[in-house]
Amino acid sequence: MKLSVQMVVVLTSVGLLSGSFLATVGILTKERVELNKQREVEAAIIKVVPGTESSTKLYEAKDFKVYGGKNQDGTLIGYGILVSGIGFQDKITLMLGTDISLTKTTRLEIIEQKETPGLGAKIEDEDVFLKFWEGRDCSQAISLRKPAVKTAEELAASEVNTITGATISSESVLKIVNNSVEKLRQLIKEGQIQDGEQDVH
Amino acid sequence: MSTRSIGQEFTKGLWNENPVLRQLLGLCPTLAVTGWVINGLAMGLATSFVLIFSSIVVSIIKKLIPSQVRIASYIVIIATFVTVADRFLAAYFPDISKDLGPYVPLIVVNCIILGRQEAFSSKNSVGRSLIDALGMSSGFVLTLLVLSSIREILGSGTYLGHQVMGSWFTPWIIMILPAGAFLALGILLGIALHIEKKTKSRI
Amino acid sequence: MELVAIFISAILVNNFVLYYFLGICPFLGVSKKIDSAISMGLAVTFVMTITAVVSWAINNWILIPHGLDYLKIVSFILVIASLVQLVEMFIRKVSPPLYQALGIYLPLITTNCAIMGLALLVALREYGFAEAVVFGLGSGLGFTLAIILMAAIREQLDLADIPEPLKGAGISLIVASIMALAFMGFIGMIK
Repeated sequence: MKLSVQMVVVLTSVGLLSGSFLATVGILTKERVELNKQREVEAAIIKVVPGTESSTKLYEAKDFKVYGGKNQDGTLIGYGILVSGIGFQDKITLMLGTDISLTKTTRLEIIEQKETPGLGAKIEDEDVFLKFWEGRDCSQAISLRKPAVKTAEELAASEVNTITGATISSESVLKIVNNSVEKLRQLIKEGQIQDGEQDVH
Repeated sequence: MSTRSIGQEFTKGLWNENPVLRQLLGLCPTLAVTGWVINGLAMGLATSFVLIFSSIVVSIIKKLIPSQVRIASYIVIIATFVTVADRFLAAYFPDISKDLGPYVPLIVVNCIILGRQEAFSSKNSVGRSLIDALGMSSGFVLTLLVLSSIREILGSGTYLGHQVMGSWFTPWIIMILPAGAFLALGILLGIALHIEKKTKSRI
Repeated sequence: MELVAIFISAILVNNFVLYYFLGICPFLGVSKKIDSAISMGLAVTFVMTITAVVSWAINNWILIPHGLDYLKIVSFILVIASLVQLVEMFIRKVSPPLYQALGIYLPLITTNCAIMGLALLVALREYGFAEAVVFGLGSGLGFTLAIILMAAIREQLDLADIPEPLKGAGISLIVASIMALAFMGFIGMIK
């Protein structure tokens, strides 16, 4: 009898002590952890929508979030679409910047990817892939240029470069981008996205 | 009670009882995070933190815990420190925390930690447990460091993110892939066993 | 379609053992004979599927609504430990033959990082209920596939002339490396 009482007492007190200790740690770090996440999104929007001073979250669904980038006067100057989709190996998470009329992409940033190092992982490479995504005409579906070319001049307005040896990764990014532009266009049409609903700050 | 000297208590973790190379414990993180030196180092330090503090706490309260519930208590204590390490990394080193992903929380099932509590801290004084934990941690960190150095230099031609190999060098991409992790650790285990046999036969 | 993608990806593309390095201990320890590898694989698949359900429920019904995210690690590990105990008692009661086959492997599963890894990945990826179940089952089958293949190769390896220091774990890891390379052929199946 005495032993079982001791067992219960010990387990309960270990549990309680650990629980309260963790609650303290949890509260102490919570703010910082959330700040980090917010900062990451913020930094990405500033990169993909040039001229952004502040941002607002306009729409949120699983694996598809839309942020609005605002300039100094607080006018909406572009959209940042944070979206995840299936890549060659695993999920690819990226942020695509577009202008306010959804006719041109401004920039693409890869947030997270687990593609093959040295091949598909080059979707993070500025010179091989990312630089070709600036100022593409996205009023129609963007297409891939095969085989890969060296300079942006060789591409038509709605074409981007394929990565040599990583066609599938390039295609995955293309698919994610085209789908999300289409989705955003639909949302705006349905009036689900209006300017400045809730402020991120 | 252990009969080793304080020095031996520490150094056994480095070679004779090295957790990875000799005891084959904690292989999951050893394989998973050693593609880059910085990740290997962060993982090694996080695991050391959990091991050292769990050992101290367990050796302090060892007399209070009835043996029937000791494993459950150890697991709660370990999980507590793992959470602390996880939150700390997420708050102050968000990039590393993102790279390591689920492998930081997974320290909780790293057999090295529970193994040391069961085999050592629950039977020895606080001082000895601390030294044992320090030795085992150093052994673990060193192994991760060796493995991640090999993989990063051969796999991407860099060290801690700085280019160290000349432009003539074509990175062996396989080394940063999962296959390279298995290959490098397998060969490292073989080399460790070979050295051990050589030194033993000389004595 | 999404569910099929998760299922296939968990078995072949992002195999738990060969891509995530989870469950390495039983993968190396219980892969000497095909029979025991099959039993271990089935036991893990069984526990993984249940774990996916239970950890999903705890995370989405208790931890997230109450903002107790920081208790995730503690609660998952305790739930897994008690779950394995319950499963063991249940099987012993209901089906003694099954218990004979799986019995000794069940306690080993508690400290198997594949189970904890599964619970964490389900939470990390914010899977819905159906996705979590499919992911749990697929991951378990992926583990089973890897461990059976490994056992089949190791039974042959017994007859081979292997350098002394590489015997045991060393050669197993090198074999695993070649298996991981072969499994890379499945990458890109999911589009």
